[in-house]
Amino acid sequence: MFESQRQHPAAAVAKALDIIKGNFITIVFIIFLGGGGDRADFTLYWILGTIICLLIWGVISWYRFTFRISDGELQIEQGVVVHKKLYLTADRIQVIDISAGIVQRLFGLVAVEVKTAGSTSKDAKISAISREKAEELKTLLRKKSSEDVEEYIPDEKKLVYSLDSHDLLIAATTSGRLGVALSIVGAVFSQVDQLFTEQQIFNFVEANIPHSTSVSIIIFSVIGIFLISWVLSFITTIIQYYDFSVEVKEDELLITRGLFEKTQLTIPFNRIQAVQIKEELLRQPFGYASLVIESAGYGETQGNSTTLFPLIGKEKIYHFINEVIPEYSTELTPGKSRLSRRALRRYLLRMVWFSLIFIAIAWSSIPYGVYSWFILIPALLLGYWQYYDAGVNSDGNTLILSSRLVSKTTAIVKKYRMQSVEIKQNPFQTRLNLSNFTVSVASGNQGRSFTVRELGQQQAYRHLEWISNGKKGLSNHP
Amino acid sequence: MRSSPRYKLSKAAIKAWRVSTALFILFIILIPLVLWLIYFLQSGGDEFSQWTLITVAVTLLIIGALGIFFIPEIRWQRWYYEVDEHEIDLQSGIMIITRTLVPVKRVQHVDTRQGPILRSYGLADVTISTAATTHRIPALDMETADEVRDQISKFARLAKEDV
Repeated sequence: MFESQRQHPAAAVAKALDIIKGNFITIVFIIFLGGGGDRADFTLYWILGTIICLLIWGVISWYRFTFRISDGELQIEQGVVVHKKLYLTADRIQVIDISAGIVQRLFGLVAVEVKTAGSTSKDAKISAISREKAEELKTLLRKKSSEDVEEYIPDEKKLVYSLDSHDLLIAATTSGRLGVALSIVGAVFSQVDQLFTEQQIFNFVEANIPHSTSVSIIIFSVIGIFLISWVLSFITTIIQYYDFSVEVKEDELLITRGLFEKTQLTIPFNRIQAVQIKEELLRQPFGYASLVIESAGYGETQGNSTTLFPLIGKEKIYHFINEVIPEYSTELTPGKSRLSRRALRRYLLRMVWFSLIFIAIAWSSIPYGVYSWFILIPALLLGYWQYYDAGVNSDGNTLILSSRLVSKTTAIVKKYRMQSVEIKQNPFQTRLNLSNFTVSVASGNQGRSFTVRELGQQQAYRHLEWISNGKKGLSNHP
Repeated sequence: MRSSPRYKLSKAAIKAWRVSTALFILFIILIPLVLWLIYFLQSGGDEFSQWTLITVAVTLLIIGALGIFFIPEIRWQRWYYEVDEHEIDLQSGIMIITRTLVPVKRVQHVDTRQGPILRSYGLADVTISTAATTHRIPALDMETADEVRDQISKFARLAKEDV
């Protein structure tokens, strides 16, 4: 441990996979671009070449990566082109995560990730060592602080919520990821004409579904695309949320999840900036919702929306919040403060404009585009729904905003977490005494904002006033 | 209902905005002009491209005239700001009126900035950053800008000690 040493050679493979995972979209793009020729075997060589290059890179980076512990410091030296030295003092280390991905499990190894408040965790990741070594490393780095940790562990009551397999299946079935999956399937479909000619497709369809007309083909392919997307989103949800659990600790939450790759997330309570209750379109009828928390940066750079719980019955939500994040527990519902009737007109009109654009495009460019007029019906219904679900309410230190784009989102924000408030009015809104009300909180580096559209002007200013008068409320918080 | 914030920007802002819009428009007009020249030299110029370019140029001229002569004035008239020990209150917008409230406590840093145009008119922008958002009070007199900046930073410090 005190000598400079290398990781298990499997780290080379893990590294290559890491690069693929991190740049997946770029790689797919390059493959399609490079393989744009007529011959399929060319694409194959292209892919093989990429993989070999990555493996070579992985081997070199494995060779260059050494770590050791000396003077209570974890010292990592790495870098293929640029040589980097990273020295982490034991008492600066906040979290040591031990996880195992596919590669690691194949070789019976683990990855160790060391997190401090400042550094990016990417550099301080030992991607493949044996479990014994990892434990040894952990005890060595934790040695100093372990004594005072031990003291309060026994009387700490452990509160763990986990997602059982029944709920996981429901979550996967109703996952709102359809959009993402649809775009992937769409991208693949758009490449179909590179592999087959139109005649081949036509013959294939003719052979399998005789007497089909172009209408039925269109309908069948739309249904087909939806089905494939649904299966994709089903699988990704299962992979992501398998074995999901939230553990409530003294001053932080520990979220564990993942099928192939176990991910552990630690979120200190005082980093939580807002809580969102998301009722996805498919889940709402069954009375389910998911919980998402926004947290300020924790050694990571990108915006931080973390799923706190992927599926939870609506009636249990407030109890859950009360138990897990008591700071955000509230009796408030946004329901009491409905928008005025004037707002409804603007919600409906907006949907009409959007669908008119869509109809114009569909009508002029695809066969049977006339039928796209039917889209007006769901669009207007959605518009009414958006109007119905929008609302703001405040009490004490808590502001609650709800709105719907497609899924309904209810955000619970604390007065002392608000970074800014904004009221926006365009000339039409001024005429109707309406306004858009936006509250921003910190989240990652960019921050996140919640908006309720077409809120009555008086009401908006009342909330603005409430936020600006809450100066005393602000200082009560630790 | 809350009344508008108390203070206005420096009157010189109008002139500074006129100059910067003029420069911007000039830049935008120059590009199609150059493109047209290249096209013209290459193909001897046909009817269609000439007319498109004329339309584009005329539209740009109208927008430019509006942007240079009217908009800065209106923009100045609609801009209000106020800073006190609790919050920063901003109101702006020509068509879409935006009212922003930033609790002073949330301010992470304030800075003043000036480009060459603002400098020649003795003006500066004040930029206020929180953990989530960035706000700007544009074109204040240099002394006022410095004063506002120092004030915000002082209030922010006081507010934080209070916690």
